[in-house]
Amino acid sequence: MQKITIDPVTRIEGHAKVTIRLNDAGQVEHAYLHINEFRGFEKFCEGRPYIEMPQITPRICGICPVSHHLAAAKASDDLANCPPPRPASLLRELMHMGQIIQSHGMHFFELAGPDLLLGFDADPATRNVLGLLQRDPSLALKAINLRKFGQCIIETLGGRRIHPTFAVTGGVNKVLRPAEREAMLSGVAQAIAAVQTGLGIMRAWAERNRWDIDHFAVFPTGYLAMVTPDNGLALYDGQLRLIGAHGQDLERFDGSAYLDYISEHVENWSYLKFPYYKKLGWPGGVYRVGPLGRLNVASHADTPLADAELRAFKALSAGHPVENTLHYHYARLIEILFAIERVQVLLDDPDILSSDILNTRQSLTVGDDGLAQGVGLLEAPRGTLIHHYWATEDGKLARVNLIVATGHNNWAMSEAVDSVAKTYITGPEIREGLLNRVEAAVRAYDPCLSCSTHALGQMPIMIEVLNPAGQVVQSLRRDGGG
Amino acid sequence: MRDSLILGYGNVDRMDDGVAWHVLIALAAARGVAGVIAPDDFLEFPDGQTDCQFVLQLTPELAERLAGYRRVCFVDAHTGNLPEAIRLERVTPAYTNSPFTHHLTPATCLALAQALYGHAPRAVVASVRGEAFGFAQELSPGVAARVPEMTAKILAWLAVAVPAVG
Repeated sequence: MQKITIDPVTRIEGHAKVTIRLNDAGQVEHAYLHINEFRGFEKFCEGRPYIEMPQITPRICGICPVSHHLAAAKASDDLANCPPPRPASLLRELMHMGQIIQSHGMHFFELAGPDLLLGFDADPATRNVLGLLQRDPSLALKAINLRKFGQCIIETLGGRRIHPTFAVTGGVNKVLRPAEREAMLSGVAQAIAAVQTGLGIMRAWAERNRWDIDHFAVFPTGYLAMVTPDNGLALYDGQLRLIGAHGQDLERFDGSAYLDYISEHVENWSYLKFPYYKKLGWPGGVYRVGPLGRLNVASHADTPLADAELRAFKALSAGHPVENTLHYHYARLIEILFAIERVQVLLDDPDILSSDILNTRQSLTVGDDGLAQGVGLLEAPRGTLIHHYWATEDGKLARVNLIVATGHNNWAMSEAVDSVAKTYITGPEIREGLLNRVEAAVRAYDPCLSCSTHALGQMPIMIEVLNPAGQVVQSLRRDGGG
Repeated sequence: MRDSLILGYGNVDRMDDGVAWHVLIALAAARGVAGVIAPDDFLEFPDGQTDCQFVLQLTPELAERLAGYRRVCFVDAHTGNLPEAIRLERVTPAYTNSPFTHHLTPATCLALAQALYGHAPRAVVASVRGEAFGFAQELSPGVAARVPEMTAKILAWLAVAVPAVG
């Protein structure tokens, strides 16, 4: 049997490796995605005061620190029985929309755009953001300005680019000034135009690449996401809704009860556990989160432009969940549109300028085990993010559990790699385009594999083809550079 | 157009990954900037032509800032297949791959500056080999010991005449 390994192994933590096992005929037996997850952060938090968590947890991730910042604030609110005043919740959601816009914008235009606009098999020397720029400089500027729009919202509210101190237990620590509100509003129209350009690109690409869309990692799963009370798209607050592979309702529950519904499976080939829906067991209960999951779970969006796009998206599969991994990109764009419209809605709310931003009445309710508990959830760009804290009566954390989107999608990413490998590898020779497709299968989920650190000289991608005797007969390598 | 930008990046809460922040503090002290520097600060050195900034990661919008300088020194940690304790090497505009992540490389940032704003500064990457990446702001002893040497190299780089644009 031959083995192909795609191995970005030298990250300090959270690294991943793809192994593709071929049989003697050169066909794929099975492909695996291995993720070495670093769980030390939860231990690191033990003993710290819970009120510090909104400032500590953004250190987990350099890509989505705002998501951890806000989920931690929500968990500490819950733990301290200290719900924030409505204006504070609006401001937190506004910051969260900034994060969705900048993160999704970066992913679509920088990471996915080259594949979509230039093609999976294009020369890798030009299949990148610079190749895109050469083809369409105005698009590149739109993309950068879109990201900047989201980033400016975060910086305006957070006051700091690095480790914002905005959200605190019971609210936020800064009001929004009228001039800041006006500055944000002035960017809405341009941001919407940029996303609509992206949607046009996506639709045209989908039209030209139907075969790929219908054969590239298409498989059934359940889907989990937050929803509004009437099942609308929700990114900041709401109950969790779980639907089955045929779109049927399985569960609807408060996020704080997640342990009653979700369990975790262990495989000996991955350090990262595989969450699944308890009642259906493993592996029947696997589900997906993130943009594709959210749009499959939501029945509609409460903003007009996103709602129209969501209806078009749902029409792709005529009432059945959209299973196509490549449509994560389409879903991501619709969510950017939704987030920008939510920015407008939030800024138009009279409470957004209120100074009633902090509830200072904190009280812990300690259970029979001597611990108080709090759970905070939101829909991070990559999917449902859960922070769960247990604290002693004096407010010191005794235990911390974090479930991040990359964990929820662990099975789906590995399945996507397996599916793409079986579809596209038909012999032992590996073209660069194959490597790119396998990468793209993982990339569609926008996993946070490398949380927090990024020192130079890391992240090489290696494909090795081993013959039945274990000898390397072919290899391809791609370095992260520096 | 300003002369020089020292652009450090990394995670200050992950020990040696944030070594650039410590180097920037040392550089600022050497140039007479007193007090504690927060990771977010954008500093103008007293010479009036050198600026200093620290960011968590390199992002596309930095291209606009880079285009406003004649030269830039990126400061980072390195690991992986780069064996040297300290490196200072020229970097030119080019796309370099980071297939799964949301941060860009210095070369890609320079290429974006060139393509979008018509100018990429001459640039070097100064990096220190990291040894420990736990959750703390302190550097490992070995890396802490290398900060003065890295700082001296960057000061020497700053002492060289600023290149003409073009």
